[in-house]
Amino acid sequence: MVLYVCEDSTEGILCGVYDAWASRLGHDRVGLALAGAYNYEMFTEYRPVLTDRAKAQKVERAVRGKISERAWRWVYRATLSREKEKADAVYRFLIHGFHIGEAVTQCLQIPQVHALFALNRAVACEAHHQKEFLRFSQLPDRVLFARIGPKHDVTPLLMPYFCDRMPSERFVIWDAGHERAGVHVKGGLWYLLAGREAARAAALEKETDAGRYALLWQIFFDSVAIPERKNEACQRTHLPLRYRPYMTERFSRS
Amino acid sequence: MLIQEGLSLEEKLKILTDAARYDVSCTSSGVGRRGKDGFLGNSRTDGICHSFSADGRCISLLKILLTNQCIYDCRYCVNRRSNDTLRTAFTPEEIGTLTMEFYRRNYIEGLFLSSGVLDTPDYTMEQIYRALLLLRREYRFNGYIHVKAIPGADPALIEMTGYLADRMSVNLELPTAGGLRTLAPAKTREKILKPMRQIQLGIARQLEREGRLESRGIRMDSIGREPSLPDPASALEEGSGHLKTGRPVLAEGSKSPEKGRPALMDDGGSREGRPRAIPGKSVYGNFGLGRVSAYRPYFVPAGQSTQLIVGATPESDYQMMAVAEALYRNFGLKRVFYSAFVRVNDDSLLPELPGGPPLLREHRLYQADWLMRYYGFAASELLDEARPNFNLFLDPKCDWALRHLEQFPVEINRAPYETLLRVPGVGVKSAVRIVAARRRSALRFEDLKRIGVVLKRAAYFITCSGRMMTPVRLQEDAIAAALLGEERRRLPFDSSGLYRQLSLFDDFHLQEGEKSHGSLCV
Repeated sequence: MVLYVCEDSTEGILCGVYDAWASRLGHDRVGLALAGAYNYEMFTEYRPVLTDRAKAQKVERAVRGKISERAWRWVYRATLSREKEKADAVYRFLIHGFHIGEAVTQCLQIPQVHALFALNRAVACEAHHQKEFLRFSQLPDRVLFARIGPKHDVTPLLMPYFCDRMPSERFVIWDAGHERAGVHVKGGLWYLLAGREAARAAALEKETDAGRYALLWQIFFDSVAIPERKNEACQRTHLPLRYRPYMTERFSRS
Repeated sequence: MLIQEGLSLEEKLKILTDAARYDVSCTSSGVGRRGKDGFLGNSRTDGICHSFSADGRCISLLKILLTNQCIYDCRYCVNRRSNDTLRTAFTPEEIGTLTMEFYRRNYIEGLFLSSGVLDTPDYTMEQIYRALLLLRREYRFNGYIHVKAIPGADPALIEMTGYLADRMSVNLELPTAGGLRTLAPAKTREKILKPMRQIQLGIARQLEREGRLESRGIRMDSIGREPSLPDPASALEEGSGHLKTGRPVLAEGSKSPEKGRPALMDDGGSREGRPRAIPGKSVYGNFGLGRVSAYRPYFVPAGQSTQLIVGATPESDYQMMAVAEALYRNFGLKRVFYSAFVRVNDDSLLPELPGGPPLLREHRLYQADWLMRYYGFAASELLDEARPNFNLFLDPKCDWALRHLEQFPVEINRAPYETLLRVPGVGVKSAVRIVAARRRSALRFEDLKRIGVVLKRAAYFITCSGRMMTPVRLQEDAIAAALLGEERRRLPFDSSGLYRQLSLFDDFHLQEGEKSHGSLCV
């Protein structure tokens, strides 16, 4: 058994797929693992994967061209997941994908296809929830700032969405869990920051003003509920507790 | 009427939100529109909920009234003229600023603007139009707008407003003309249906201009020709026996043409009476353009909706569903909303509701509404005059399946899409996935689980390659008891006080005769 150890990023995982496939050792004898997220096993050889943009692009082109755009979306979202086995899941899915072709995304009865589908769905749902529950507050110069804490690394999925929605606004989305920041400057350009630069974006949080509109929003939020229909269990189902610390509105709990 | 001057924006927002919250519609779906330079906002066809209030309802739009002053005195309404409450109004600028600033912060998906009728319907509609014009032109807002059409207003005003809004609605509120006469004496059915018809025609003309009429299966010349809205009360009084829903309803006691042969097992060609189920689409066709460009005006691209109050007047569920069905069929509505009656006014004409608003009944009506729009059920299949109300213990689909055991079990690997949809535990998504996945290989029960079928419910009604999941002899009452236990755990709200001693024969409307041939031998 040969395990290809790749970096935890979309490009890193795609390069792992490339190397494992190109090794011609046979699909049963190779696997993928994320750096720092595996246990050593006997009789297994570990090969580090060098992340190389050209290799990743080759894999991307092959998936989009020979399978489908939909399959590519699944793969891309799965690489943003927090699950440790995602690299191997991508590889196992692509084995079926290149064999079956476009119809692979319909074959949920195949366990490896379903595994990737489930990863993709979890990431897509998290991104959707963030689109719903993310809250901006305003910095002194009308720049908007949001702090989020998603399970999966969904900032790359949020940025295009908010850029289309607010093309004239400058905003920063700071993912406190993954320590990544998305920055949008006017004109549709956006950047993803990591490391020290992202930490600088995080420091902006102290400068936001809670402001008049947060208060107005709280008034609206409290007034719009019908007291005779009070149903906190239903509220909790739709709006899980883990999102609430990041939101503007305060929830009264009985 | 106490009209207060000089209120702060905070106070106005509280008053005009309190007054608007009984309108249940809060969807931001139905229109997809990209953002554009210099404007704020876009719109997604599936809509986005931004928060959930303490009653568990979604908050998607800034739902406010322009004013809570009103010339009408509808008995059920919190804003009726005779109520001694504080009255105020927003200025168009206040509405614009609130919408823009809330939207920028990702609090809301857009604006839901309703209003009490101030002075005249025309004047009110004009104020609404001015507020929207300011928001779209001056504030450059490109997000979602839902707005009320005020019955009695000049059609020209409604038309102009429609080009600024995404969705319009006119609330029917009470399903019968009689109910309306009693509780809302100043309104008549004709007055409410007139703007509804106007919006329907406007949307159809918009589709015609885009060359999309044919693909939606809509014929211009048929609009307005179909029978109008049935009035359940008068229809029943006349003794005609059934409702005019635009389609012959089987007379009581007559044999259904499908009975006696396994209609659900064939290719679907024999069910002409039923509307065709289009995967993932409403069977009533799609009134409303859906996807639009951000650079041209469109007339109500997200379609129109209405609301029915549940439990303020003594209509049965069957009468409600018949009205809803006719609204979908004859008025091209996108959605009908059901609002459990909340007794906000102490009025002798309103029913006492010691158990609170009829939430479970409302829930059943919504379930049935989905069965009609996405599953191809007709109102007359779910209910009839002999059993005019939904079973509070079982959801309408399980209830239907139990009464039609002769059409089950359904073979998962062969049954057409429309048939799969009728299996309890199989929804639109899983039915679409089953049809796609079985092309590759025959499906087994563990595959169905992956696909998303709820086997707890489906197990009694399906076979995979000829085998049932649990090889036991099953009878209606055994299945009913098993499903019932599950349903009771699943009910989203406290239904204490609702349960009484159960008798399966009474509660599930099983007759001795049906029982004997309804049992399944596996």
